Amino acid sequence: MSLLQIAEPGQSTAPHQHKLSAGIDLGTTNSLVASVRSGKAQILTDSQGNALIPSIVHFGAERTLVGTQAQELESSDPLNTLSSIKRLMGRGIEDIKQLGDNLPYQFVGDADSKVPRIKTSAGNFTAVEVSADILKVLANRARESLGGELTGVVITVPAYFDDAQRQATRDAARLADLNVFRLLNEPTAAAVAYGLDQNNDGVIAVYDLGGGTFDISILRLHKGVFEVLATGGDSALGGDDMDHAIGEWIISEAGFKNVDAFLSRKIMVAARQVKESLTNNAFTDILIENGDLTWQGQLSRIQFEELIKPLVKKTITSCRRVLRDAKLDKLEITEVVMVGGSTRVPLVSQMAGEFFDRKPMSDLDPDQVVAIGAAIQADILAGNKADDSMLLLDVLPLSLGIETMGGLSEKIISRNTAIPVARAQEFTTFKDGQTSMAIHVVQGERELVSDCRSLARFDLRGFPPMTAGAARIRVTYQVDADGLMSVKAEELTSGVQADIVVKPSYGLTDGEIEVMLKASMENAKADIAIRMLKEQQVEARRVIEAIDAALIIDGEFLLSAEEFNQIKQDRDMLEKEIETADTETLKQLIKSVEKSSETYVARRMNASVKQVLEGKQIDEVEIN
Amino acid sequence: MQMLDFKQNYFQLFGLSAEFHVDKDLLKAKQQALLAEFHPDLFVNASEQDRRLSVQQASHVNEAYQTLLNPVKRARYLLKIKGLELNDETETTSDTGFLMEQLELREQLDECRSNQDPIACCEEISGKLKSRAQQFADEFVTKFSTEQYEAARQVSRKMQFIYRIQEQVLDFQFQLEDELA
Repeated sequence: MSLLQIAEPGQSTAPHQHKLSAGIDLGTTNSLVASVRSGKAQILTDSQGNALIPSIVHFGAERTLVGTQAQELESSDPLNTLSSIKRLMGRGIEDIKQLGDNLPYQFVGDADSKVPRIKTSAGNFTAVEVSADILKVLANRARESLGGELTGVVITVPAYFDDAQRQATRDAARLADLNVFRLLNEPTAAAVAYGLDQNNDGVIAVYDLGGGTFDISILRLHKGVFEVLATGGDSALGGDDMDHAIGEWIISEAGFKNVDAFLSRKIMVAARQVKESLTNNAFTDILIENGDLTWQGQLSRIQFEELIKPLVKKTITSCRRVLRDAKLDKLEITEVVMVGGSTRVPLVSQMAGEFFDRKPMSDLDPDQVVAIGAAIQADILAGNKADDSMLLLDVLPLSLGIETMGGLSEKIISRNTAIPVARAQEFTTFKDGQTSMAIHVVQGERELVSDCRSLARFDLRGFPPMTAGAARIRVTYQVDADGLMSVKAEELTSGVQADIVVKPSYGLTDGEIEVMLKASMENAKADIAIRMLKEQQVEARRVIEAIDAALIIDGEFLLSAEEFNQIKQDRDMLEKEIETADTETLKQLIKSVEKSSETYVARRMNASVKQVLEGKQIDEVEIN
Repeated sequence: MQMLDFKQNYFQLFGLSAEFHVDKDLLKAKQQALLAEFHPDLFVNASEQDRRLSVQQASHVNEAYQTLLNPVKRARYLLKIKGLELNDETETTSDTGFLMEQLELREQLDECRSNQDPIACCEEISGKLKSRAQQFADEFVTKFSTEQYEAARQVSRKMQFIYRIQEQVLDFQFQLEDELA
């Protein structure tokens, strides 16, 4: 098809060298995808212009729906419609019990797995698989809008996500068959979006209250370097909790007893609407209808603010803490940036503004800013901006430690340490002939292991047997730029590397992921077919566009009436079939257009070469 | 990829002279200059081998940075360069006056819990610890610069103790805030 790339003489064909990439904001409530096109980061929308894809998946007997279509089934089929799945990423059964009463799903355990599965009529799914379904839709939107395969993506995660939650996100991307350049922290992404826009140096606080997570990060911006000084937050606090507070208020006001999954969903949907309405209104009416049950009520913004004040206060506590960690005074903060849909709640920006003693910035759409920042980073990582010297320096959000005698945690790497980072420790054997040892790695700030989050147990095996105390085992803990930890171990006197068996406390094992990958192969075949068709459709539109543009300029001038009509006929045929034809037919139709316009393309080339040469001195013409 | 010289000590790596006082701005500028060469983001499309190397080298730079940034780690590292290693497990201080002071500080911290304003109480202790840390740092400089390394080692142990209590105060504050929230 290259012949139809009818570029004007002297014009570069640079778009061809541009590697396609995307930034993905995989949110609790909504997800977005953005990409840099013609040097500008843009949110990619659907054909109706919608930027947000609700992070909701419906598992039907026939097929899986994602986004708005799934959202429409939320109230009618609550058990098969999964939302806020991000809250379950990297979580175990016990964690979910704590979130428990808010979730209408039925969980099923699996004796061989630590990862809870949600029961639907289409089968049992982990949060990782559900997230992968959302990622696939986002990636497809990017492929269609950009017209090609993605070389890689940047996926954002809350800065406060622990290792298990990050690993789960990585696993979801693997299932969705995406090349992840990097997991980027959401506040850092927001800072990139703002920082590059404003091009100013300073210390900024990014206050990010999303649907299910809260992050507060302090960054120093200096000459294209975004250095995270400290980060903090709560990976289980967000707009969802406001909805629940309203929901509980409705249940108690209405005196509902025996709230089943259907009623519960209805109340939650109503609660969300109430919250949104109170952003601009002082009062809002509520109507709940469920079978023969009907309740009508009204909530004022003042009442609502009383309900959510404890939640917002929690975020302010985190702000105070993170300033202390960054060793900064409030006055040293030059800008406060608001990110996440929940910062639209007036009380939130009011209390954050009061704490930092300055008016928070929200120039960029708080729902879109993270995806925009991720797209900018993805574009750079794809290698499209060789001379751009942006550097993102992140930190470990929560301390890493190992379990020692008496169930205490000994910190190995403290929170807010710049990553990547590695730290080594030496151990010795305490028994004659000992050839293995076990290390339990935890994450968190508390002294007792039981108060921290268990990440994984590492079995180090295969040391040469020696007398007790003779072996010198060096264990290296490595945290990469994504904030993910790995462990390696070596016996120093013999140089023997240990075999390491990882038992993740909450994650999927490699074996489980393999099984999921195989299971999704069947679906993938269908997905690939759809993708190929979509690609041909994109190609067909591009061909038509190119032909049309050319014909207007010089079609009648360079072509006989017969030639003109032949091209026109083939072109119209292609256009007619674009939505209905299968991949192979489309391919043939595109070929016909190419064939009938071959002569035309050649004549155009000649004409343009002539044009360039005319009016130039001979010595100006480069001879290759 | 260019490789770092892992035989260099951290001061050499950052182009600083091996002494207790470091210019933090210079330290940070040098860290960032090194990361601008080795950060894994610059190697996302490189070979597996180069990606691994970049993680390793950037980790080395960050570890060096942390060591030189933190006064206690810096003091211990200086002693290590001079051939004096400290072993956390076996070494304690024999200065009974200092031990008493530590016990008192820990008691005060426990009492903060029942204080009317526990956070302010913690911050008061933090203030005391900060000035003690400064005193010991000054003492360390005196001993170290006059090559009294054994004496400097004694001081560095005290610095370490103070630092640990400082960490405990922070963790305690963290916990208090969680309980109050």
